[in-house]
Amino acid sequence: MGKLTLLSGNKAVAYGVKLSRVQVVSAYPITPQTPIVEYIAEFVAKGELKAEYVHPEGEHSAIGAALAAALGGARSFTATCSQGFGYGFEVIAQAPAYRAPFVMAVANRTLGWYWALASDYSDTMTARDLGWIQYYVEGCQECLDAVIQLYRIAEDERVLLPAMMCLDGFHISHSSEPVNIPDQAEVDEFLPPRKVYDHTTDPDSKGYVFPVLPAPLHTPYRRMFEEILHRAKDVIKEVTKEFEERFGRKYGLIEEYRVEGADHLLITMGSMSTAAKRAVDKARSDGIKVGLIRVAFYRPFPVEEIRKVIEREGVASVGVVDRAVAHGTRMGPLGLDVLSVLYNLNGKVPVTNFIAGMGGDDVSVNDFMGMIDRLTKSSCPSGGCVRTVYIEHKPPKKAGLVEFKNTVYAPGCQLCAGCGATLVTRHVLRVIGKRSVLVFPPNCVSASIAMHFPSNWMGVPCVLANYAATGAYSRGLVRAYRVRGKKDVKVVAFAGDGCAADIGLQSLSSAAECGEPVLWITYDNEAYMNTGIQRSGTTPAKAWTTTTPVGTVWRGKREFPKDLISIMIAHRVPYIATASPAFLKDMEVKLRKAMEVVERGEGLAYVHIHSPCPTGWRFPESKTVEVARKAVLTGAWPLLEVDHGVFRLTVKPSKLLPLKEYVRLQGRFAHLSDGDVGEIQQVIEANWRRLLELHGKKLF
Amino acid sequence: MSDELPEIPLIRVDTLRSEPTASWRVLKPVIDLEKCRKCWLCVDFCPDGVISKSEEGPVIDYRFCKGCGVCANECPVKAISMVREV
Ligand SMILES: Cc1ncc(C[n+]2csc(CCOP(=O)(O)OP(=O)(O)O)c2C)c(N)n1
Ligand code: SF4
Ligand code: SF4
Ligand code: SF4
Repeated sequence: MGKLTLLSGNKAVAYGVKLSRVQVVSAYPITPQTPIVEYIAEFVAKGELKAEYVHPEGEHSAIGAALAAALGGARSFTATCSQGFGYGFEVIAQAPAYRAPFVMAVANRTLGWYWALASDYSDTMTARDLGWIQYYVEGCQECLDAVIQLYRIAEDERVLLPAMMCLDGFHISHSSEPVNIPDQAEVDEFLPPRKVYDHTTDPDSKGYVFPVLPAPLHTPYRRMFEEILHRAKDVIKEVTKEFEERFGRKYGLIEEYRVEGADHLLITMGSMSTAAKRAVDKARSDGIKVGLIRVAFYRPFPVEEIRKVIEREGVASVGVVDRAVAHGTRMGPLGLDVLSVLYNLNGKVPVTNFIAGMGGDDVSVNDFMGMIDRLTKSSCPSGGCVRTVYIEHKPPKKAGLVEFKNTVYAPGCQLCAGCGATLVTRHVLRVIGKRSVLVFPPNCVSASIAMHFPSNWMGVPCVLANYAATGAYSRGLVRAYRVRGKKDVKVVAFAGDGCAADIGLQSLSSAAECGEPVLWITYDNEAYMNTGIQRSGTTPAKAWTTTTPVGTVWRGKREFPKDLISIMIAHRVPYIATASPAFLKDMEVKLRKAMEVVERGEGLAYVHIHSPCPTGWRFPESKTVEVARKAVLTGAWPLLEVDHGVFRLTVKPSKLLPLKEYVRLQGRFAHLSDGDVGEIQQVIEANWRRLLELHGKKLF
Repeated sequence: MSDELPEIPLIRVDTLRSEPTASWRVLKPVIDLEKCRKCWLCVDFCPDGVISKSEEGPVIDYRFCKGCGVCANECPVKAISMVREV
């Protein structure tokens, strides 16, 4: 039965997870996947799903924890895409060997290379040959249905492999359609609880998998895995058939669409198939005999199923549409796979491989009409022709641009009105000047550079570092300028708190410990803001975020924030400071000291700047500086420095303001009772007393 | 089309180009120069740096002002008022 509701692809995935009674969820935010784990967090916060929820510091760990939970015998789930997928790759590659079934949703997005937010398959295609099951859905209903079916398939003892559920970023993840949400009882009947197998890692099990093999066993095990994946096709057929009988929705390895008597055949994957089908309808009504195969399960690859259609219908030309490029082969991965299908056919069918929709570019019905037109005209007298055609569109031109010459900063960035980080960035640029290079991990500020293309609003060269490698990128640059005799160039890492406190901490720590002369600036907006307000290591206790929502079970973030200043003190770096945009003089003095330390090559200088975020902290955008000031005056954001080991409070109010003057300005604390505020105030006051004691002391 | 594109897409450092953000504004800051004491706090605190100093007092570049109201909130003599855009 179920009920029909308008759901986005992401929300449909979250419902699939809930209905599958997933027991452990572990995930790290990344656009456009994030809403999946936000919706799941809401289910957990409200007590609608009883699951353990892990908040790791990056995808390497997020996928690792999900894999390990499956190893330990729980039904587990994670989600990612793009850069996160790349960062988690090592774990992804290892997962099949453990024979631990779990489902990972991937809201497909370009894997940078050049970055973009929307869908192509350059992320998941890197994992196509690793032994995972890969399923690419076409729409939102299929998202929900696929999750449930994939647990059944992956957990079947004939399979026991991890499964990737791929939904096109934005085209599916953020588009909505009416989705039937089945009743829990119906799903329970279809999907039994996770079975615990003999190889589950547990002292009560028969044994366990330790994924190491002597060399001579690698080839036989590869063969075996190939057979298992192949065998999985039978399970897929059984499971999709049973699903159809129970729920009335038909799925399979491939979907055939109007293939009867087709002279021409389009082969597609994912969301673009919908536009392709409309084009097929149009062409059919014009008398062109064209049909379509949508590849749903890409791994195991449906070789026989595709070949059968081509032979049965006597197809004369095939057009394969790829949302990925296998660079160096002149083709896309799906194109290459289809070629291998056709190799054994009698008579050679010409193949046109269309490369389309990269970086999330829309592929329209008209584009598909053009492709069909090409197919009807593709003559190939000698047989066996293979062509590749790129479907390209012109980008929209920006009009009315205003030019600024020889400046470190120009107005017009795309950051929110009243953004504290904008204020911080602007003053940092002013102080560091033109002889600097900025190293940016992904965050709000670097996203604004992306939005500024083909120009920038910062007049210094900027490097986009991979999130976890920001320290390392900075070090490489420092060394290059050193060997090139350009010692006056300052390398400035400009990281959000998500980078500094979580995913980038080990890279920062290594650069600090090695005494690398880098000016590291953390602008702290106390959450992952660019991905839409998820908890970070520095999010204050009890604060609402989308991954620490407020419900009956959860009431905001449970933990107190990570103390990065103490961590830097433990590294004994020559200069450490906090700063606030409400105290600009103080900030400027500190930045200049930090620059001197770096110029003298003494080591890493660390400046941690509070950056109130009206969007994420939920206060009116006019209050940014007021919020920053209140943070300092209430003791929530002490202004301090540790200059060559000597600790000093640089702004020392004789009496702290009551914390509520700061907290009550912000919606993220709206659920706090006076008692809650009092509790936090006690911690803050204790900290303040500790800092007063340290004032003037040499710490190292 | 690919012929028109450079193989290596460069972002220039000497010249910056920005799209105006005036259309973001719902409220517009208006400075009462009579009241203004030229403390320049608004110049410092405007997140987007669109207020500059002049002999007469602060000048707002309305092409880029986003209308956040930080300047009005911070002005110690309330010389800036936020008025509805017309
Ligand atoms: C390896 C990796 N994981 C995840 C992301 C997605 N991502 C982009 S920006 C961002 C949040 C940034 O948060 P923070 O560093 O605190 O800076 P803010 O956006 O808050 O300014 C995330 C998670 C990514 N780009 N790379
Ligand atoms: S979300 Fe917050 S930090 Fe990001 S641009 Fe908006 S105000 Fe600034
Ligand atoms: S309203 Fe905001 S953007 Fe406009 S001048 Fe005032 S502070 Fe600057
Ligand atoms: S903050 Fe007010 S008083 Fe100070 S310069 Fe600006 S308008 Fe004048």
